[in-house]
Amino acid sequence: MAAPLTARQKDFRRHLLIYAGLIPFVVIAVFPIYWMAITAFKHESDLYRMDSIPFWFNLPPTLKNFEILFYQTNYGAWIVNTMTISAWVALITLLTAVPAGYALARLRLPGAENIGISIFMTYLVPGIILFLPLSRVVATLGLQDSWWALVVVYPTFTVPFCTWLMMGFFKTVPMEMEEAARVDGCGQFGALVRVVLPVSLPGVLTSVIFAFTLSMQDFLYGLAFVAPGDQKPVPVGVPTELIRGDVFFWGSLMGAALLVGLPVAILYNFFLDRFIQGITGGLGK
Amino acid sequence: MMDPSTLNRRKFLSVAGAGVAGGSLLTMLDARQAPAQIRGTTLRILQWSHFIPAYDAWFDKFAKEWGDKNGVKVRVDHIPHLELPARMAAEFAAGAGHDIIHNGSSILTRLYYKSLVDISDVFGSVGRKYGGWIPAAKPLVEVEGRQYGVPMFYILLPMLYRKDLFDAAGLKAPDTWELARVAARTLKPKGHPTGIQFSQCADANLNWRSLLFSFGGAEADASGDNILIDSKEMREALRFAKALFDEGMTAEVFSWDDASDNRFLASGIGCWIHDAISAYRTTEDTNPPVFKNTVIGLEPAGPAGKRVSVAAANVYMIWKFSKNQQTAKEFLTHFMDNDLAGMTQSRGYNMPYLEANYKKPMPVIGTDPKMQILQDFPKIVAFYGYPGPFTTPIQEVVNLYVLPDMFTRAARGHAIEDVMKWGMGEYRRIYAKHKRA
Amino acid sequence: MTTASLSGGPEPAARAVAVSTPVRSARRAWWRTHSAQRKVFGYTLLAPAALYVLLLVGAPFLFSLWLAVSDANVGDPVASFIGLENFRAAWEMDTFWIAFQNSIVFLVVAAIFKGLLGTSLAFLLLQEFKGKKLIRGLVVIPFTLPIAISVLSWKWMYDSQFSVINWALSRVGLIGGYGSESWPIWLGQPHLALAACIAVNVWRSFPFSAIVLLAGFTAVPLEIIDAAKVDGCTFMQRFRHVVVPMIFPILMIGFLFDTVFTLSDLSVVYLLTQGGPANASKILPVLAYQVGIQAGNLGRGAAIALFLVPLLFPALFLVLRSLKRREW
Repeated sequence: MAAPLTARQKDFRRHLLIYAGLIPFVVIAVFPIYWMAITAFKHESDLYRMDSIPFWFNLPPTLKNFEILFYQTNYGAWIVNTMTISAWVALITLLTAVPAGYALARLRLPGAENIGISIFMTYLVPGIILFLPLSRVVATLGLQDSWWALVVVYPTFTVPFCTWLMMGFFKTVPMEMEEAARVDGCGQFGALVRVVLPVSLPGVLTSVIFAFTLSMQDFLYGLAFVAPGDQKPVPVGVPTELIRGDVFFWGSLMGAALLVGLPVAILYNFFLDRFIQGITGGLGK
Repeated sequence: MMDPSTLNRRKFLSVAGAGVAGGSLLTMLDARQAPAQIRGTTLRILQWSHFIPAYDAWFDKFAKEWGDKNGVKVRVDHIPHLELPARMAAEFAAGAGHDIIHNGSSILTRLYYKSLVDISDVFGSVGRKYGGWIPAAKPLVEVEGRQYGVPMFYILLPMLYRKDLFDAAGLKAPDTWELARVAARTLKPKGHPTGIQFSQCADANLNWRSLLFSFGGAEADASGDNILIDSKEMREALRFAKALFDEGMTAEVFSWDDASDNRFLASGIGCWIHDAISAYRTTEDTNPPVFKNTVIGLEPAGPAGKRVSVAAANVYMIWKFSKNQQTAKEFLTHFMDNDLAGMTQSRGYNMPYLEANYKKPMPVIGTDPKMQILQDFPKIVAFYGYPGPFTTPIQEVVNLYVLPDMFTRAARGHAIEDVMKWGMGEYRRIYAKHKRA
Repeated sequence: MTTASLSGGPEPAARAVAVSTPVRSARRAWWRTHSAQRKVFGYTLLAPAALYVLLLVGAPFLFSLWLAVSDANVGDPVASFIGLENFRAAWEMDTFWIAFQNSIVFLVVAAIFKGLLGTSLAFLLLQEFKGKKLIRGLVVIPFTLPIAISVLSWKWMYDSQFSVINWALSRVGLIGGYGSESWPIWLGQPHLALAACIAVNVWRSFPFSAIVLLAGFTAVPLEIIDAAKVDGCTFMQRFRHVVVPMIFPILMIGFLFDTVFTLSDLSVVYLLTQGGPANASKILPVLAYQVGIQAGNLGRGAAIALFLVPLLFPALFLVLRSLKRREW
């Protein structure tokens, strides 16, 4: 290589290297997704073949698996439930975690550190030892077998997480801004609502997204508290109604996962930059 | 799904088939008598997702129709059988939930009986009406002489074998475990091994017990209190399983779950499997040529000619906290009156517990030449705990997969005596703990 | 429970704050002071979250502590105190120790892989290149799918007969055909089974690790790195002495949340193997579930689940340390 590379060539090479590095990651991450997608459109008899290439259709693609989903299960209701549950959980989380995070981060409360750590530690308690006592709580509230039960229970893991997140975030807001607002006649609360919150919007959004995703990762609580077919969220409804005895409805299972997972992934991507800002909260200053 | 007219016809046929002339009239009258006091109540039923979706659809409709007729609001919820214990524990802890709860495979009567309604009356009257229960039924639901559940149906795991492959190799039907082993040994080199789950799943618990019991062994005695696993028969069964694995299977059986052997048969690879007829049905739908050549065989006999077929039991119970116990009892009686309609709807999957319903030809299985053999199973059917009841220590043994683990260890090449030592240790520890408690 | 009782944290902390806050005015009554108002305001804001967590996690947790020292079983409403009997029973159990060991192996191996994959991915995503958003979007998908369902997809990919992984490996000649010795049975060979479960956990979580790390890296101001460069630090030195200390707290938090998720998640193992073959992939949550719920011994199940807590202690310790480092 005699001639020095031009900037363009350099850039091209750099891109090439980066892409080469990224390919394995993309393959690892995406292949199972691709596999789910193609399985969702396959005839069942196309699945049980060893002689032909599994990566593509050997029989014409079918929508049968989706028909099963929408006409023979309550899939439509599950989607609505999942979204409504997540929205409520996000709301409850915001109403509790945002003020708590602010108080812990900004108000120099006596014992703040210990309270913060204690709230945080509750995230450490595994769900498997909480679900039986919680089922009594749910029954006492009269919420058993309704998705409202999950609205009550899911904040047990979203609140600790998001409190921490918000705490970190509020620390990045310069104290001076708040003081200036207070000088301008806003009270403590006014300063919080008018100045600090707007600046912390990325953090708030991050919390919302997190509340959403965490709610969708649960299986055990949903299983234990919600049995009626039309009250389940997707992650519970799908494995409980598409695995029957010793028969798996593979195509429908995978279709169901994708129809819910992909929109959330897209949403996630939208907010990823803010999210990154959010978790870095209290750093770098 | 079926329309009401066929339902009635089927029901009529089934009742007529039962051959209890007086009984049938009674049945029909019963079905119409709506006890006034249950009007206006609600009934919530929790049961598994049946492997035949049409059965669930039929059942939901069946329950609703009964409710409409009797002024009862009925709701049926379905969850997979594996998740039933968790759900039951949650409902117990909550003291609220469904009125009727279904137990599949793992029958938890002895664990929960203090929280269940004593329904000896329903058990007794249904039994009397239909010529009695088969002997294996009672231990499922009985604690200290009272019955806390109504056995609804059980699921057989017969031999399913490829007649075409057997014939081509000049093999005899797998009527004994020894013949089954010879077949696997012969056909494996031809690309058609056999497979039984050496893993932690429900089928493994059932299949290996069928083998052990047919070999004359047992886990506990008839009282349920004394461990009998340390026996010559158990050692023989282990040795046999090891040989069967070495000669006739591939290592994939270590990873199998309940559904793997279905696929193994449906793909045309397996020469025989020991599984529920859902495997037969799956094959019918996905691989018709293989289905055509698949034959159902009687439970293979052990070395002394003994046949014990361990089946997956299904039982309904009523929670004590239920406020609609009378309604629940009425419904269970009504359901039992339509036992054979359920069998029809499940495509022959649900086997009855009532003697009168074994009158040949039975619905579905009696008319399909390949399935007729299933009518001979009631004499040899057994459940967990055989020959005794399904006690709480056996429940733990089952749920921790101790027995399949022993067979797995043997197949992996552990010395038989080491396997026995490990297994006996587990059994003793579990039994001792339950005695202490 | 009042908000006041929540403030009853250890005295030293309170004193420290009190000392650091200049005493404002002695003339006004204490509740009228600015500092008192601030505290009232603060505890009011804190109350909803604290109460929620106290009532729905704290109380149930105490109840399961009671279960662990009682002979409760799922069907018996009356339980009596039996001391540490349940812990002793777990201690004597062969399977318990296997599960304990597997849980540690699971945690450590998964953490190593997530760390490696996450770091390299984060470095790559730190670069500027075309299509970055798209690629970033693709790699986070595993994290956004409901775990209970994506595990089923893996179950199908690990199938002993129809495994697409094996099919591909076999076609490129790395392994033999179906039925041959070298055809891996992912969920059936003891070491492979555990590895297969770990792989699913890594697959699901490495995007999260990468995002957390990416967040950390972006938070390090470029000037600091440049300054270090000027000072003649090598890349590794810069990484070790500048970047790592700065992103340490973030790393710890990510690590903790992931550890909790990994340790207490039963769905991967439960849905893939139930802990088989012969307990080779049994981990504590699965065992606790089988003993406590499926076999009905609530007390023993709770005791086994509580053993998760000491496993979580190291993680907790690290996090608390990192929290202390943060400026309060």
